[in-house]
Formats: sequence, structure tokens, C-alpha cells
Amino acid sequence: MRRFERRFAWWAVFALIVAACGGGGQATTTTEGPGTTAPPATAATTTTAAPATTAAPQVCEAKIGVMAPITGPAASIGEEQRNWALLAVDLYNEENGTNFELVEGDTQLDPAQASTVAQQFAADDAILGVVGPAGSQEVEAVGPIFTDAEMAFVSMSATRESLTDGSLPTFFRVVPHDGQQGPTDAQFMIDELAASKVMIIDDQTSYSTGLADTTAATLEAAGVEVVRESVSQDVTDFSALVAKIDDATDVVFLPWQIAANAQLFGDQMAEQGKDAVIFGSDGLFSPSDFTVEGAYVSAFAPDIRGIPEDADLVAAYEAQYGDFGTFGPPTYAATVVLLDAIRSLCDSGAELTRAAVVDAVRATDQATSILGQPIRFTENGDVDGGRFFIFQIKGGSYELVK
Amino acid sequence: MEFFLQQLVNGLTLGGVYALIALGYSMVYGILKLLNFAHGDVYMVGAFAGYGVLVAFGGPADPRIPVVTLIVLMFLAGMLASGILGVVIERFAYRPLRNAPRIAPLISAVGVSFFLQNAALLVLGARFRSYGTARMVDPATGLQWGPLRISIIRIVVILSAVALMVVLHLLVQRTKLGKAMRATAFDREAAAMMGIDVDRVIVATFLIGSVLAGAAGVMVGLVFSRVYHFMGFVAGLKGFTAAVIGGIGSIPGAMMGGLLIGLAEAFSAGYISSTFQNLIVFGLLIVFLLARPRGLFGVPEPVKV
Repeated sequence: MRRFERRFAWWAVFALIVAACGGGGQATTTTEGPGTTAPPATAATTTTAAPATTAAPQVCEAKIGVMAPITGPAASIGEEQRNWALLAVDLYNEENGTNFELVEGDTQLDPAQASTVAQQFAADDAILGVVGPAGSQEVEAVGPIFTDAEMAFVSMSATRESLTDGSLPTFFRVVPHDGQQGPTDAQFMIDELAASKVMIIDDQTSYSTGLADTTAATLEAAGVEVVRESVSQDVTDFSALVAKIDDATDVVFLPWQIAANAQLFGDQMAEQGKDAVIFGSDGLFSPSDFTVEGAYVSAFAPDIRGIPEDADLVAAYEAQYGDFGTFGPPTYAATVVLLDAIRSLCDSGAELTRAAVVDAVRATDQATSILGQPIRFTENGDVDGGRFFIFQIKGGSYELVK
Repeated sequence: MEFFLQQLVNGLTLGGVYALIALGYSMVYGILKLLNFAHGDVYMVGAFAGYGVLVAFGGPADPRIPVVTLIVLMFLAGMLASGILGVVIERFAYRPLRNAPRIAPLISAVGVSFFLQNAALLVLGARFRSYGTARMVDPATGLQWGPLRISIIRIVVILSAVALMVVLHLLVQRTKLGKAMRATAFDREAAAMMGIDVDRVIVATFLIGSVLAGAAGVMVGLVFSRVYHFMGFVAGLKGFTAAVIGGIGSIPGAMMGGLLIGLAEAFSAGYISSTFQNLIVFGLLIVFLLARPRGLFGVPEPVKV
């Protein structure tokens, strides 16, 4: 009898490990999502031809990479980013008669996976620049590889402040950094919402805890009482946490990345009759998934549906891929920055090298962009004049309030 | 005190769902000695089937039929889809391996789990879908007792989980099929010799377990709204943990194990920190495996000498 018990115990532990590895294993598959047209990242290593480095071809042609969490737990973000990058390359080729090709690298929002993809990209001489990676932790992981390869990489969503401290000479981003978001959000809570007690709940990612820290610091400096909580992204039920919100709490700040979670949080607050206001960070900007009435959301990009010049783009994207949130349009902007840089080299007859692309990206001077604002870079790769926008949800739609 | 009661309600809802998932694990283990790791994904498919019906009838904001009818239809669709899927999985992934070493069907189970997850990713995309229950039923309606609130949806979920468990209990204890299931679980060879169609009993077990998982999927969709291709993984692990804690193979054990896990999650989030929620749940599993591997209600298996 005891023997059976012990055997069963081992059996169950083993099974659990198999299942746990399985979770990771699922994340390392290279399954392509629907609508994939470009080859997967692994194709990058097998390419031997490097026609782009030979003198001024008649048609400007080159490959660029995109690194995004196309599969895995953040696939909903990555798919959108990948799709916008594809759209950008397609439209760009159509408009300018260029022959750019996009190579996809699936990072699964995992720094280790991102490093592998970065090495593949660096080894492919035809790849002259990279869009991404998406997460700040991934940017840190691939930084040394791309620095050595002199590869320009333009992130569409990495907002950690330290990335642009000068240590990554080939890094650029088209979005503002968290150092701007936390204080902006906190100041809004203090000035506009007259908050006296704020509950801050991070989702246990470095994005979230960093943002929670900067926001808490600004709030506390202004004498606002701050309560910190923390919850995993995988949790399905927030009601236990919602029950902890007391009557004195005016604002619940959610620096999260999964909009459906925040929606559930809001629904469960209504269920338990809590009337604190939800304030979400840029990760929650998703008019289709997060519609809690009266909630505020900050965003590193405006809602491009509200920009008249972008109407055609929005229609083109929706026709081909469907709905989108805030993560896609900056990817489009980053892709265009890179393609513009390469095309400017073609036009001037300069040799297409990675180092030249880095310089050309640094010299970017777009008077306007899909994001409705000019794109120029500071010396360290931050977008010049980047700022956060604050929206309020009214009647299911997002209205810009600041 | 209200805080305690509120967390109790939260824990019971979650526990009811885990119990339904755990039942499928436990019943299959009881009869086949197989850990059906695809069970969590069967539950995911049930949740999506319910979502499909919801969308087909106009979505949560603007349903074309009365809400009650809609919810009943969603339950039926989820249970039907999961039930069929469970039977198909048994037929193609496990039956050919019935007499293979025990590791073979286990690997097959993990394979089916990946297959289902990635098939859902391919067909439905990675976006989180929301049942949007709050737009269908006002979350503020329900019982209110001082500051304690129980929404009508939670009441529906807790009651239907209990009802399903009662039905299952009656089925296993009072019907001929239940008797056959118990006999097969006790000794498959002897049951076959007594004229029990073991294959049919196994199919029935998968069907019932999967139907319960489908119902759990729809319940989770209704209470916690979001459904996505990867949702079965963690839920499956929690259901498995519940089954082991309750005593795998034991039906009342799975029910109690599920409730215990749900309550442990709610109270650890409420009184300790939600950071440690999973740590505490899986810590419980380890404690049980070390101290009482047969679980709360498990019967030690006689060893044939």
C-alpha cells in the first residue's frame, strides 16, 4: 500500500512537471498565426544571398525584421503588432515602388527567445534593421547583440525609462517612456480627480511594477495615501482583491497589459458596489475590450481612429485584419521610420550598410506620422516631444480629456 | 465579518468551477488510471462554444432572445461541444493506447492538449474574448445583505454547479451505468468478465467528465467573462490539484478538493496577498502529496501480490 502511495506521489509530481514543461513548450512552438504571409524567423538563418549590400540597385530592396510576441501569452498584442508591420511594408512597397521584405521573429515576450531571434537576425546580412522588440525586458536582452551588429532597432512599445540612458547606441523608440507616464497619470489623479487614497495593483511584470513605483512616488510626494497590491496576469478572478477596496479609496490604478482583465475587475467592482474610479495605464487602452464606464486610461499614442488623416489606414487595416488597440499603430510608425531610412540611402546612392541605416534612422525627420505627431529622435533614441494622452471612457467610447 | 463572507462567496464560486473540472480528471483516472491533461482544453472549448452561441444570438449587449433562454442555450452548447470532443479524444488519442505502458497515453494527453490550444489559436486568434456578462445582466442585481453582495450570476453558477454534482452523484450511485462505472473502476478485467461493456463505460465516463468541463467553461465565461485559447492550462492544473487533494479517483473527493482550492485561493488573496495565491494552492498540492498522497477521500489501492 505504501509502495503504491509513494509511486503515485512520484507519478503525480512527474506529470505536473511534464505539464509545466508543456506550458513552456507551447510557448516555444513556432506556430504561425492566421494571416501570416512572410516566412518565420528561422528562415533568416538560411538566407545566404545579400544583394542589398552591392552597389545601388535599381529597385530599393532590403529585408527588415520584426520582433513581437506573435504567439504565447501576449499573442493578442504581438499579432496586432505583426499585422501592422506587414501592412506598413505592403503599403510602403506599393506607394514607393520599393521591394522591402519583412522577416518575422516570434519572441513570445520572453527575453531568452528574443535573444535567439536577435542572433538569427544579426547573422542574416540581408537584414538591415529591426522593428521591435516589444517588451523592455527584451530590449535589454537583445541590446548587446544589436550593438555589436550595428543593427538599428526601433521599438514600438518598450517604455522602460533606462533603455535610452545612452547604453544602447542603435536603439530607438517611437513611444514615450514610463518616466513620463507615471507622473502624468499621478498628476492627473491629484489635480483632476482630487484623489486622497489610491490603490495601486501591479500585474507582476517589470513594466507594471516600474510604472506602479513611479506613480506611487509622485502620489506620495503630494501626500496621497497609497495602498499597493499585486496580482498575476493569469488570475481569473479578482473578486477577492476587489473586496479589499475600502470606501475611502477614490482611485484604483491598474498598470496592466491585459484589457479583458481590467474589464473583469471593473465588472466585479460594480458587482460588489465599489465606486472608486479605475485608472488604467497604456496597456489597457483597448476600446473593444475595456469599456468600464467612467474609467480613465492613459496612452502613449492617441486613438488613431480620431485622426482624420489616418482614416484610410484604419479602413485598410480593419478590412484585412479586423479590430485593433493601441499597440499596432506605433508598430506601423516604427516600420515606416526604418523603411524611410533605408530608402533615403537608396535615393542618395549610398551603400546600404547597417551602420548607415542607424545614422539614417537617427536623422529621421517626419513632419507627421500615423500617430498624428512629428517623429524625430533625441541623441539617445527617445522620440522628441513624446507625451502621454489621457482618455475617459464615456458611453463605451474613449474621449481624450488631456 | 462581511469581508470574510464576501471572500467565502468568491471562493465558493471559484471552487464550484474547479470541482466540476476536477470531477472529469478524477472519473477518468478512477477508471483508466490516466491523467487526462487535455481535460483543461476540453473546458476551454466548452467556454468558446458558449461564447459562439452568445455571439450568434446577438451578443451580450443586444441579445435577440430572452437572457434566461440564452444562458440555458449557452450551457447546452458548451456541454454538447465538450462532450463530443471528449468522446472523440478518447476514441482517437487514448483507445489505441489502452494496453500500452502508462507513459504513452500520458504523453498522448499532453499532445492533445497542445493540439487543442494551438488549433484554437489558429482558428480563433489570440485575442481575449469577453462574455460581457455585465452588459447582459446588471452585476449589481442579486442578494444584498448589508455590505455583502452576491450577484445573480454567481448564484446561478453556484446553484448549477451543485445541481450538476447532485445529478452526477445520483447517476453514479443509483443507475445501472453508475454501477458499471464503479465496477470498472474497481477492477476492469473482472468487470469485463461479468459482462460489462467496458468500452461503453469508458466512453460514457469521458462524455460525462467532458460535459461537466464544458459547463464549467461556460460558468467561468459568465462570471469571469474572459475566454482565450490558453485558459485551459492553468484551470486544468487547478482542477488536477483539486482532484489529487480530494483523492484522485474519488468523486466526492473531487468536489471537496475543488471547493477547498477555490476557498484557499480566495482567502489567500483576501488575507495574505494575491501574489501568493498560486504558491499557496500548489503548495497545498505538495503538502498533500507528501503527507497524504491518497488525498482526503482516496481509497488506497490494494496491491496484488
